[in-house]
Order: sequence, then C-alpha cells, then structure tokens
Amino acid sequence: MKKKALSTLLVTALMAGALSACGSSDNSTGNTSNSEAEGGKQKVVAWAWDPSFNGKALKIAEEIFKQEHPDFELEVVDMAKTDLEQRLNTNLAAGVTEGLPDILLVNDPNIQKYVNSYPGTFAEFTNSSVDFSQFSQYKVDALTVDGKIYGVPFDIGVTGLFYRTDILSEAGFSAEDLENITWDEYIEIGKVVKEKTGKYMSTINPNDEAWTSILLQSAGSWYITTDNKGNFVNNPVMTETLRLYKAISDSGIAKPVTGWSEFVGSFNAGDVATVVSGVWQIASIMDAEDQKGLWAVAPTPRINIEGGVNASNEGGSNWFVFDGSANKELAMDFLGSTIGGSSEFYERFLTEAGGVGSYIPAFSSEAYQQTSEFFSNQAIYADFTEWSTKVPGISLGMYTQEAKDALKNELPNILNGADLEKSLANIQQLFEQQVQ
Amino acid sequence: MRGSLNKSSLIGWQFVLLPSALILLFSFFPMVQSFILSFESGKGNVSEYVGLGNYSRLLSDPMFRQALFNTILYLIVQVPIMLFMGLIIAHLLNSPKLKLRGFYRTAIFLPCVTSLVSYSVLFKSIFAVDGIFNKLLMNLHIINEPIAWLMDPVWARVVIILAITWRWTGYNMIFYLSAMQNIDPSVYEAASIDGASKFRQFFSITIPMVKPIILFTAIISTNGTLQLFDEVVNITNGGPGNATMTISQYIYNLSFVYTPNFGYAATVSYAIVIIVAILAFLQMKIGGEKK
Repeated sequence: MKKKALSTLLVTALMAGALSACGSSDNSTGNTSNSEAEGGKQKVVAWAWDPSFNGKALKIAEEIFKQEHPDFELEVVDMAKTDLEQRLNTNLAAGVTEGLPDILLVNDPNIQKYVNSYPGTFAEFTNSSVDFSQFSQYKVDALTVDGKIYGVPFDIGVTGLFYRTDILSEAGFSAEDLENITWDEYIEIGKVVKEKTGKYMSTINPNDEAWTSILLQSAGSWYITTDNKGNFVNNPVMTETLRLYKAISDSGIAKPVTGWSEFVGSFNAGDVATVVSGVWQIASIMDAEDQKGLWAVAPTPRINIEGGVNASNEGGSNWFVFDGSANKELAMDFLGSTIGGSSEFYERFLTEAGGVGSYIPAFSSEAYQQTSEFFSNQAIYADFTEWSTKVPGISLGMYTQEAKDALKNELPNILNGADLEKSLANIQQLFEQQVQ
Repeated sequence: MRGSLNKSSLIGWQFVLLPSALILLFSFFPMVQSFILSFESGKGNVSEYVGLGNYSRLLSDPMFRQALFNTILYLIVQVPIMLFMGLIIAHLLNSPKLKLRGFYRTAIFLPCVTSLVSYSVLFKSIFAVDGIFNKLLMNLHIINEPIAWLMDPVWARVVIILAITWRWTGYNMIFYLSAMQNIDPSVYEAASIDGASKFRQFFSITIPMVKPIILFTAIISTNGTLQLFDEVVNITNGGPGNATMTISQYIYNLSFVYTPNFGYAATVSYAIVIIVAILAFLQMKIGGEKK
C-alpha cells in the first residue's frame, strides 16, 4: 500500500509539473496576439537582455514617447542574451511567429546573419522617419544589408585605452606618453611598467577574440571580406594583428585570464595597469571605488600600418522590428521618434544608464561634456564620442563567429611560434570548410 | 484462454495507448523529421535539399573530427577510470566492518545532486589562474608560477575529465552497491574457507556477480559522455582553441552560435546516434551473456 501511495504521489507531482510548465509558457507567448485587444491601450513588446542597460534605455524611451502618446504601453521581456538568441532562432526556424515580440535587440555581428537567414522577417527602416545621416557612419554600415537598412542604431562600443595614472607615473610615464601610440610602443611601455612596478600591463585570454577584433577594425579590416569570404590570407592587417598578439603574449606583460569575471577581477583588484575595451567597460571599472581618481582614458593604440587609426569599436547593438508584427507601424514610430532621433533620449541614457549612443546631435549636449571624478576629472564621454567619429566602417558579414572559431583553433600554434603564413592558410581553409 | 482480447488485456491496451501515442508524437515523429532535415542545408529558413551532401561534408569536416576526437578521448579515458573507481568504492562501502557507512555513502553520492552548471562553475574557479588549486600548489612549493590550467590543451582536458569523474562516480557507485548487497554473503564465506584472498574474492566473485550492472553502467556512461555539453561549455567553452569542444557543443554552435544551419546540425546529431548504437552493440557483444 505504501508503494502505491508513493507512486500516486509521484505521478501527481509529475503531472503538476508538466501542467505548470504548459501554463507558464502560455503566459509568455500570448503577448503579441492580444496586444491591441485592450481597447485604446496600445502595447508593444520588446526583448532585451540587460535590465539595467538596454532594458533601462527602453524604459527611458517609453517615458519620452508617452508624453505625446499617453495610450502607449511598453513591455520589456528580459532574458539572458544567449537565451534570447536561442529562443529567437528556434521560433523563427519553426515558423512560429506567435510569442515573438514586436521589438528585438540585436548585437552588431548578428545583423547580417538574422537578415539573411530569415528573409522577410525584419522590418526595413530605409525610408522610415529615421535620419540615418545623424548616426555614426560605421553603425549604419553595419545595419545595411544589400542596400537596405534594417533597424535603428543603438549603443556603441567605441574603444579606449583605460589606464591607471598612479601605476604609469610610478613607471615614469605621463599622459602624453600614452596619447596616440602604436601597439609596439604600448608593448615597450608595458615592459617598463612590469619591470618597475611588477604590475602587468594588460590581460590576455586566448579564448576570447575581443582583442583581435579591436585591432582589425582599427585598421578597417575584419575576419571576413564584404562578400563573406575568409579574410586571413593576403591581408596585411590580419598578419600584423597576429604578429602583435604573439608579441604581447611573448613579452610577458599580459596576465593570462580564462574568463570574463577573471578579466574584470584583474583590473578591479589592481593587477593590471591598462585595459583596452569598449566605452561600456566604464561601469565595471568604476566598481572599484577605492581606485577613484586613479584612472584616465587615452585613445586606443593603433596598428602601425596604412589605414590604422587610434580608434576602434567593441560590441554594440541595434533595435529591430518584426515585419509580421501586428504593431509594426507603432513600434517603428516609437523607435524612430526616441532612439532614432531624440537628443533628449541619449542625454538621459548617458546620465541614467551610462550608455553611449551613436546619435551625433546628442554629442554636443551638456550631458556628453560632463567630467568624471573617477577618471581624473576627464571629460571622458566627449573624448569617446570624438573617437567614435573616427572608427573605420566595416562590414561584419554573416560568418563572424565561424571565422573567430577558425582563428581560435589555430591560435595556440601561432603563439607557439608556428609559421604565421602557413597558420593563416590553415585558418582560411578551416573557415571555408565551415561555411559551405 | 478463450478470446485473445479478454477484458483484462483490453484494459492493459488502454493504459498503453496514451503513452504510446505521446511517445510516437513527441519522440519518434521528431526523430524522423530531423532525419529528413539532415538532407537539407542552408542558412536559417533558407535551405534546400542537398541529398547526401551533409554526410559527405561531415566526413571531411575538421571541426567535427576535432569534436569527435575530444569526445572519444573523454570516453576511453574517463569512463573506465570512473567505473573502476565506482566499483572499488562500492566494495569498500559494502564492508560490514566499516563505521559511519551512511555518512560515506551520502558524501560520495552527494556530487550527483549538484546542478551540472554550478559544479562546472566551481571547477572553473578552482582551476583558474589565481584559483585555489594554484594557491595550494604554490603554498606547498610544488610550483613557483601559477599554471593556466584551462589554457593548456592537455590540462584543460584533464580538468574536464576530473570534473565529470567527480560528478558521476558516486552515481555509478550506487548501482554497484545495490548489486553487491544482493550477493549472498555465504558465497564469500565459502570462498574464505577455501582460502581465497580478499583480492581474489573481489575479482573472482564480486565482479562476475555484478557484471550485468557493469554492462548497464558502461552503456549509460558511454551515452552520457557522447552527449557531454554543460561541463565543457561552462568550464572551458570548448577552448583553448577547440581542444575540449564536444560533439554536442558543435551541434549547439551550428544551430545557435553560427549562422544557423539546422540541416547540418541534424546530420551531426545522427552521427552521434550511429556512434552510440555501434558502441552499445559492441558492449553487449563483449560484456553481455553468451547464449
């Protein structure tokens, strides 16, 4: 009898679990279908992945839009970035549009991938109310597929060389010594810093391609060409980037880290003298309150090659609208009049969420001129936005991730001193194998 | 015995009907669908029929070969170690003389209740460059400089193998323990009277008696290792290079990280199916009852 009771209990528990699972998925899928049924209220659903950053941006935009459209309502569904991408892919591949939002956050490398993999799914903004000439050209380039623009540019990841003024002055370097340097000079400075202070110059993570991406874009190149072919052989920028990567690794000035939290931990703990990263890294750097006033930002080091500039980009995202959405017009109008053309939005986005956009008219506003006590009273945002206008525009193509993985596969050999030309040919071959 | 469809068997069929229909719908139907999908290739929703194209691509795909090599390496190194350790521990815990048996059993089984992701994150932090393991070795003066375990292809694999062994040994141990408890103690008694050593008893009595269970755990572990995903993604994310990437992670990458090619991803999944089937067949042949 005991056994029977137990099994009944188990079955009940199982059923309850299964049913509640159904219930919860029902709740989250019914969003779009009933959005206009609520008489008068116009509701738009958006997917984003960081409630304190891009989710927050939507909330700011909603407040601005509501001033003229009091009936407007926005629901932000917050998910982890990988979950969002997985859910989107599954939904679109299955051809199920129910449960999809009206607005979607898409990061730069995914733009072409989504537009090409799911044709007709995303709304075109080419002839919309958004004036794309007001945005940084490289962001618009990234959003353009076959001459059509699919979305509204959002935040940018213009990079800078964040450095600890105290460590560098202990090693005998002033702010001018870091202004517009080359990577070779950076390595030389790093050697002196390591010798005099015992601190590492930077971190290195062979499993992360952020560093190579920054270098490539700073000279207007990328892992793949505009027509989605591998860009590893006969590409002087790629050869130079990997030579520098090996030089940094060999010089011993970089602390090896294996993941993001270790990377952030290394500068929060004061183990490294510099961080080359996107403007969004400011928030993480400022987490170490004891380092207040000890940081400053210089332009990104450049590759000493024709076309190499002291500016690059790391990350950034955009807002897409689903073409099949029942609220397509409203969603496009909402994005167009806030994120796509409101200086007020970008000022508030900067002051409230620390985010930097690519909307040029906002750059001259007061918010962008503010100085930061944490960064030695430097007007950091004005500097970053100035650099952002110099970032070379590139096409990210649709196979960035494949190309990065092909490179990652060969990177250990390169760092062990294998013939670079031969390694690059291997990478090219592996990449072509991957994208057939 | 008159009428094959008597009342009780009719009731029986009614019970079987619903689960069978559900299994057909949710298990077999997708299997067939994905098999059909494995003959298509393309990007996302733009795909076309390519016949055996995906299968011939598979044979010359260096990424797949790398993933297969890694997975098989985990399999042939990790599974025997784990199963043998499971056997030894089960044998020790089965000893009636052991005190605090309940405590040890719980302690060794405990890793199995931890979530795959959380124990992976734990292992990752233990073996980080400034992780506790490096600190320990440095304090013991075994090494002078911290070793980047997860950045060396060999050590990264060792860490993965260590992690899955830690997680799954206790799980297999429980199976062996329950099998050993079913062995009649008088068999051992008779053996000791005949002068068989403890060592001899273990290899000549215990192991043959639990052989069906060993076969069962071997198949389960083989299957589990071929589907290895969480640990690798969380500890090394396939790195350094692609030195620890498993087949499952490759399938995931093909569908959700790269430009989605669901057709080719389905082809790789079917490669796992075929490998599991072959291995299970071999294990049954080698370890199974000879009739």
